[in-house]
Amino acid sequence: MDTEKYVENNNKIRRSSLLLRITFFFIVIIIILSIVIFNFFMKDFRKSSEFKVYDKYFVMITNNYKLDLWQSIYRGAFGAAKEENIYVDLLGKDFYENYSCEDLMKIAIASKVDGIIVSANESEEMTELIQDATAKGIPVVTLYGDNTKSDRLSFVGVGSYNIGREYGRQIFDIIKGKRREDFIESETMEERETMQISVLVNKDSSDSGQNIIISALQETLSQENATNSEFNITIVPIDNKNAFSVEESIRDIFISERVPDVIVCLNEQNTICAYQAVVDFNKVGEVDILGYYDSESIVNAIDRKVVYATISIDTEQMGKYCIDALSDYYTYGNTNQYYTADIKLINKSNVAKYLEKGEKEHE
Amino acid sequence: MSRFLNLPLRRKIIIIYMVANMMIFIVNTLLIMGINSMSVEMELVYQDNRSLNKLFEALTDVQDNMTEYLSSKTTDSLEDYYRSAQTLQNLAEEMKGQISDLSFSRMRRNIHNMTGGYLEEVSQTVEAKRGRNVEKYRSHYENATELYKFISSYITSLNNAQFVSNTENYTMLSNNYRVFGALCFLVMALVMIGNVIIIISIISTIISPMNELAESANKVAEGNFDTTLPMALYNDEIGIVISAFNKMVISIKEYIERLRESMDKERELQEKELMMEAHLKDAQLKYLQAQINPHFLFNTLNAGAQLSMMEGAERTYEYVQTVADFFRYNVQNQKSEVTLKEEVTLVDNYIQILNVRFSGDIHYSKQVDQRLLTTPMPSMILQPIVENAVNHGIREMGDQGKIKLKVFREDKDVCISIEDNGKGISAEDIDKILNGNWRHKEDQYDNNGIGMDNVISRLRLFAGKTDVLDIRSEGRDKGCEVIIRLPLE
Repeated sequence: MDTEKYVENNNKIRRSSLLLRITFFFIVIIIILSIVIFNFFMKDFRKSSEFKVYDKYFVMITNNYKLDLWQSIYRGAFGAAKEENIYVDLLGKDFYENYSCEDLMKIAIASKVDGIIVSANESEEMTELIQDATAKGIPVVTLYGDNTKSDRLSFVGVGSYNIGREYGRQIFDIIKGKRREDFIESETMEERETMQISVLVNKDSSDSGQNIIISALQETLSQENATNSEFNITIVPIDNKNAFSVEESIRDIFISERVPDVIVCLNEQNTICAYQAVVDFNKVGEVDILGYYDSESIVNAIDRKVVYATISIDTEQMGKYCIDALSDYYTYGNTNQYYTADIKLINKSNVAKYLEKGEKEHE
Repeated sequence: MSRFLNLPLRRKIIIIYMVANMMIFIVNTLLIMGINSMSVEMELVYQDNRSLNKLFEALTDVQDNMTEYLSSKTTDSLEDYYRSAQTLQNLAEEMKGQISDLSFSRMRRNIHNMTGGYLEEVSQTVEAKRGRNVEKYRSHYENATELYKFISSYITSLNNAQFVSNTENYTMLSNNYRVFGALCFLVMALVMIGNVIIIISIISTIISPMNELAESANKVAEGNFDTTLPMALYNDEIGIVISAFNKMVISIKEYIERLRESMDKERELQEKELMMEAHLKDAQLKYLQAQINPHFLFNTLNAGAQLSMMEGAERTYEYVQTVADFFRYNVQNQKSEVTLKEEVTLVDNYIQILNVRFSGDIHYSKQVDQRLLTTPMPSMILQPIVENAVNHGIREMGDQGKIKLKVFREDKDVCISIEDNGKGISAEDIDKILNGNWRHKEDQYDNNGIGMDNVISRLRLFAGKTDVLDIRSEGRDKGCEVIIRLPLE
């Protein structure tokens, strides 16, 4: 009886001491766990300040950094620069104010960057600024638009002649289509209408690229056996000094008496404005647009047959060439004067491929 | 654990209290540390904005002072300019950023570089002004102002961007803070529950032996000394009390046992006394039954004695007087204890009466140690024995019958021997008489009614031993001896 009770008591004690131990360890574990959780939270918070440091700092200066073209080139340049431990900034996007290329150049020079990629023009101010930068030991690469009078290191652009030829071929295709229609509809040569071709050029710049495109276009058309009576090329200057003037200028074309049959746009913004105007003025099918650049909306417009064709530029290559030029300068002291990026034509025959690509990029 | 349980109660309670408080204290300390580190983080959140604002103020100061100097050329403004330029220089040094993934860092780098350029431009402006080179200071001033605008714009942009990002940080931090608060609450609650469990279980290990003790104390109080005694599990005060209680219960039990034994003895003694009294009463009753109004008898006998005196019959007078004495002893003697002398006198009287009745047939002799006559003994003992000896021993022997009374000392006993030379008694009969199984015949008339069994049992009660009376007979017609051994005082 007594031993039984003793055993029972012993068990009771053992049980309660076990409970005590478990509770004690439980509390200790809770405290440790809460410390760990707390540190985890705080670490998570502090982690955001980890970063990588780069050797060199280049800036890319464009007149409108928001445009798809520039963004795309910037991406190409950024990727290429990162491999060489260089950081490229698209200058301007950090500012709340919108600065012109020239102001941004001044900022870049004052910031003592290691290299400038600028979409230049042939203005004197730009020349001065490039000279100033070069004098301060900052190499300057002109992108897309050149400034030939300056001591810029290199020019990275597209083959304007090739673009002109592509446009010419497309216009000739349009003319051929028209010939067939005319052959069916009209009896005499006199009734046939001359095709009006408007080439939209920027008013401000004496850009040699534009001229080359137009002359290449003309050359192609004459090579393709189009008679002078069949087409008439008009150069329409577009006022791009003011933020909204481009759109207004393009609309003016549609308000005029004779709406052109083909509109050739030489930049992304013009293409988008022209496309929108055609839709708004209900001229789809009457006016063919030859666009520039392959942004998503432009590719979609081709699919909807509002834009006849557009030029796709290998933007990644362009960006890479910019970095190549600057790093060549730092490595060898000099580099090529000209870099030319590849172009491709997009029309309804190959638009599906680009649409797919666009979708994939979206994903 | 068992070492802890063996500690004194006071220390145990203090330790429990300390441990519980310690845990709460540790948890609280951790919470406060956590809160402190979080508030430090919170203070730092907008640090960048503050330093940018300072930089901007310094920049504006420089610009203002320079403009002031250019317009008024006062010494004060020049001094102010130098001071503010130094401040700006220092602040710009602090701004130094890196070329990294972080846009803020790059912007800081640019601001730092631009500020350097600006300061140079400003100092050239001031130099040119002092040198009165109007053309030069104009152009430098314009450059400086332009740079000032760019830097201001840069700072504003960076400030805004940083504010947005810091606000995000702040939101995240305050979310963390809330989570931390909930966590704290949970931890506090859990620790408190744990504490309560620990305290309850320790207290119950302390209290449960006490409950057991109370339970068994109650049982003992109800008189159940055979209850299970609680175990002293550990050596604290309660353990000590429990073992003291156990010892106490055991010794009480022993004491009660002893008390019971002595009470048993006393009861036995009382019983003995009562029985003796009862036997005496019984003897007296029987004797009284055998009498018909003894007073009348005594008076009658006295009258007879006086008559024989007057007639001069001396022997008759003596006889009647003896008879009267004999019966008076029987009737008057209510005492249970008398002296040996009285008993011997009674036997003398009895023999004298019988000798008158049977005309001197019985030869009676006695051998008495006079010193022993004061020995106390129960009354009505010797006469019945002598009566038996006469009735059953020598009645039919005529004048040959002899009775011998001896009183002597043997060792520490007083011996009274009554011997006859009569028929004797068989051994079986002796056994029967001694064991109280003797049935005497109902029709016996000539005795005073007190049987041997009564005599024997009274003697045994008086002496407190069984061998107080012995009967010896060597066979038929060889006579018989009854020996009584009374303890000498």
